[in-house]
Amino acid sequence: MNDVVLEVRNLRKEFRGVVALDDISFEVRRHEVVGLIGENGAGKSTLLKILSGVYQPDGGEILRMGQTVSFKTAGDSAAAGIGMVHQEQSLVTSVSVAENIFLGEEGRGVRGGVFRWGELRRMAQAQLDKIKSPILPKAKVESLTFAERQMVELAKALSVEERAENEPVIVLDEPTSVLEGDELEVLFEQIERLRKFASIIFVSHRLDEVLRISDRVYVFKDGQQVAVRNRNEVDTDELHRLMVGRESTSEFYHEGAQLSVEGNPVLLEVSGLSKHKAFEDVSFALRAGEVVGIAGVLGSGREELSRVLFGAEPFSSGTIELDGRGLPLRSPVEAVKVGIGYIPAERRIEGVAQGMSVQENIFLADPSTVSRGPFLDARKAAAEADRWVKGLKIKTPNRQTDVANLSGGNQQKVVLAKWLSSPRLRVLILDHPTRGLDVGAKEDVYRFIRELCARGIGVVLLADTLEETIALSHTILVMRDGVVQNRFDAHPGNKPKPVDLVEGMV
Amino acid sequence: MTAQTEPMATRWLGDSSLKDRLIAALPLIVLIALVAVVSAQQPNFLGMSNVRGLLEGLAPILLLAIGQTFVILTGGIDLSFAVVSSLSTVLLALWLPEIGPVAVVLVPLITLGTGLLTGIVVAVAQVPSFIVTLGAMGLWSGVALTLSSASTIRISEGYQAIGWITDMRIAGLPVSALIAIALAVIAAVAFKTLSRGRTLHAMGLAEKALLMSGNSTRMIRIAAFGMCGLFSGLAGLVLASSQYSGGPTLGDTLMLPAIAAVVIGGNAITGGVGGPMKTLVGALIIIVLRVGLSAIGVPAAYEQIVYGAIIVGAVVLTIDRSRLGIVK
Amino acid sequence: MSRSDLVSSAPGVDLRKIQRLFGTGGPLVALVVLVAFFSLASSTFFTLGNGSSLLTQLSILLVVAIGLTFVIILGSLDLSIEGVMASSSLVFVLLAANDRNDSDLGFLAVIAGVLTGSLFGLLNGVLHVHLKIPSFMVTLGTGAIGIGIATVLFGGRAPRLMDDSLRDLGFGSLGGIPKLAIIAVIVLTIALLVQRFTRVGRYGYAIGGDEQVMKLSGVNINRYKVLSFVLTGTASGIAGVMAALQLGVGDVTIGGGYLFTAITAVVLGGTALVGGIGGVGRTLVGAAIITVLANGLILIGVNPYVQVAVQGLVIVLAVAVTGWSLRKRVRAIK
Repeated sequence: MNDVVLEVRNLRKEFRGVVALDDISFEVRRHEVVGLIGENGAGKSTLLKILSGVYQPDGGEILRMGQTVSFKTAGDSAAAGIGMVHQEQSLVTSVSVAENIFLGEEGRGVRGGVFRWGELRRMAQAQLDKIKSPILPKAKVESLTFAERQMVELAKALSVEERAENEPVIVLDEPTSVLEGDELEVLFEQIERLRKFASIIFVSHRLDEVLRISDRVYVFKDGQQVAVRNRNEVDTDELHRLMVGRESTSEFYHEGAQLSVEGNPVLLEVSGLSKHKAFEDVSFALRAGEVVGIAGVLGSGREELSRVLFGAEPFSSGTIELDGRGLPLRSPVEAVKVGIGYIPAERRIEGVAQGMSVQENIFLADPSTVSRGPFLDARKAAAEADRWVKGLKIKTPNRQTDVANLSGGNQQKVVLAKWLSSPRLRVLILDHPTRGLDVGAKEDVYRFIRELCARGIGVVLLADTLEETIALSHTILVMRDGVVQNRFDAHPGNKPKPVDLVEGMV
Repeated sequence: MTAQTEPMATRWLGDSSLKDRLIAALPLIVLIALVAVVSAQQPNFLGMSNVRGLLEGLAPILLLAIGQTFVILTGGIDLSFAVVSSLSTVLLALWLPEIGPVAVVLVPLITLGTGLLTGIVVAVAQVPSFIVTLGAMGLWSGVALTLSSASTIRISEGYQAIGWITDMRIAGLPVSALIAIALAVIAAVAFKTLSRGRTLHAMGLAEKALLMSGNSTRMIRIAAFGMCGLFSGLAGLVLASSQYSGGPTLGDTLMLPAIAAVVIGGNAITGGVGGPMKTLVGALIIIVLRVGLSAIGVPAAYEQIVYGAIIVGAVVLTIDRSRLGIVK
Repeated sequence: MSRSDLVSSAPGVDLRKIQRLFGTGGPLVALVVLVAFFSLASSTFFTLGNGSSLLTQLSILLVVAIGLTFVIILGSLDLSIEGVMASSSLVFVLLAANDRNDSDLGFLAVIAGVLTGSLFGLLNGVLHVHLKIPSFMVTLGTGAIGIGIATVLFGGRAPRLMDDSLRDLGFGSLGGIPKLAIIAVIVLTIALLVQRFTRVGRYGYAIGGDEQVMKLSGVNINRYKVLSFVLTGTASGIAGVMAALQLGVGDVTIGGGYLFTAITAVVLGGTALVGGIGGVGRTLVGAAIITVLANGLILIGVNPYVQVAVQGLVIVLAVAVTGWSLRKRVRAIK
């Protein structure tokens, strides 16, 4: 077992009753590149955050060179020789590259509280030299491109080498999402070079890259480790199947309840819609009762598109028409006025108003049904709120409970009730509606989507997984780099396969 | 995400609810205790003439504090409100001799305008209100000083248009305080009964969720600052009337007691929690405290220290830490 | 649209150029223009006598503004400056030889005055950081406490400073340069070194730039935040003592107007109120602009109160302009 440099045994982590990591075991051997794949919410990020000391596990143990260790802070993890290259960049842009590389751990670069700039820059240069980067240590990070910043992140991660007595373990969390072409090749070269003296955990959603660079690949799904494969035993198709595979899918998604929308009138018509630096020339029509699913990875532009359709972000050209009338959509206020609703991915911040009651949340968008003139009809509001709580099976002590005290799934139902209670609602945009929900809550959300459609409401869906997208949608747009690559008809009985979609995504 | 997780856990356990309730009731308890202590020292404290004196001092502080409550509920602050009330006394002193009673209407409209302007800058430029209003404080103070040539202007001609504010009594009580209290009650009732009455609270609690539900947070913010400006002007009317003059710094000393009244009444500086009735209790505490301190022999010089300590202490008690990410 | 379009879209390249110009070059140009303008507009502006009085006026403002720069770089604010100056000035004068009591601590009184400021800074920092109260709120309260303490110490009549060697610090000059200005230069030098070479100086930029990242990197942010507030308080303490030296008395209103002018000076110099950008060096330029402006406008006969209004506008405009490009439809700024 001497060859195992980092091991995780039976790791468990819960967030407010939702299991994020369930009995995960995982090992990294000397000079090995380990791939880690899984869909959103599979538990990858949670594992990485535990390894970097940001989260504490609720159960299980971490072993470094066979010794049990516990990482209380990011510093502990770094001191044990684990270096992280974060997905969201973790550099302070207002200071220099050298300071960033050694932030808080300046070593010889600071003596007696006094910065020795020459020394600190030499030390930084040494790290940058490891990856043969021409970036200057004294450059301010804000003057660098994203790709260059990624290189600085790498240099920062490598600096754990000198701090720990053991060979480092470098964790690369989705490092390729902002890189392309030559930059990507540079990164792969660096990984090949790194493995001569380090072990690497490589997390990515690009399966071909994972297979190309990794010796072994771990597959995570719903907080569990579902498979480990050696590189030569597996191909991308199988990895994908392992990643999403689920039994009795059509029942789970209530596919039988999906209605045909042929002949239904067009509600929302988007033509040639562009947003500078986000997406370009997007066109589609949404019929009453139809679900249009938009698939794409982070950076595909679909998130921005959904926010533009709700007026939360401006667009640069093109038209959005509702019932044939053009909408300027200068703000969410205008969108709601014409009957467009939005269920945001940031549920706690943009979805529910925490600190306010379930009842107040339900009537936050449109109190007209429970108003008498400008005044609140308190009795009617209470009755209506109770009706929604009962109808959507919202688990809450009562309608006066602070919505912050509800679980994620029940909060999401409150957000749904907020839009459903408005008689104006015509179109609902769902941005990752099942993110962070447990299986039962997910199923409820799917059922509500079907019911929405039956009411003739049009739905634009940005789902967490391809499977969700395929099962729920009538039409699917696949986006990459801001452009619609493919369109699929996904009417009942005519569903495309996930691999068909993947082709256009990466 | 993690920052949100832990307070949630304690909420689930519910162990904070008793504490919350106690803190919510604290201002009223403090007020009653204060009155009891001071009455013990001064047996005639609750006598008619004394109460009348107390209430005469109440109106300007309460009006300023109610105005500030609108803004603080949204999670912002208007540091320029006291200076604006000073400016309004200067405008009154300059205009009463010229246009008479029209000035009484015009001046609050102008301060409504200065408030709306502040709100527009905060909402449109999206910059923190404490900085904008700090700047506004300098601006309006400079304007007031310039217009008045930095001196107090006595009001004689046209004074009758505002004289009633000080002189009039209803059931023996000064009308200014009664009007201020009535305004607090009206605002509280409006918050309670309007179908969008909790919008200001929602603004302080969850601005983004409010906007993403189709409410114009921009207009709400502008309106809140507008109300603050309007009430500052009303406070200016009371001040000018009771002082028979307008002065470029006449209302400035009310800034701290008015903010102290808002926070000690139980309005959370983080927004979303509180209301005009809490502010009323807070203003009463401040007024009783003023009289009470001198009753128990504390020199007036210590007043500032008390206000400072109240502001810090009350904010510590009412701030909602579970909502705070990074505090600057 | 290719992926490289998306990647190379590092936000605001042009904006940075603009900021660099106005952040460093711009204020300096403005200063030169102002000096040139007033030299032409007023015969007394560019004289030795006025130069010396300019330096004296600049000294105290500079010290206050330098101190303030440290917390503004954090993205915080210290509104207690005037109260701290008042307390410091009275503690100092009442401990030095004065016409109120028998105390005669000499230079120790100076230290006591300065330490009064440091203590206020410590109180501000601890309340802000550990009780998580917004800094402007804490310092609004402690500023009032400072004024209150000063009022208590003041006792109705301003105590006069009677120590001759200390008074010479306030009135005297060395080779034509006012001694107060020399003190200010020393403070400036120390501040520049602290900002460039110490953890509190460097981490201040990082905390102001991105506090979340700093937290993740395991740095004890709280310590450096508190230290920054101590630096600001200390500078206010020094300024309070300097003002007492200059006027020969300790007074409750001795800091009157400095808060406003100092914030304007810091902002004009190019230190952003959002934090992370700027520095002590820039504040020197900003303070010089304000001083020249104040002095020059009086020489050419402009009502001094108009300046207060203009300073207020400058603060609002500065935050609005620096923040303009960050505006979004969905954004909550309180």
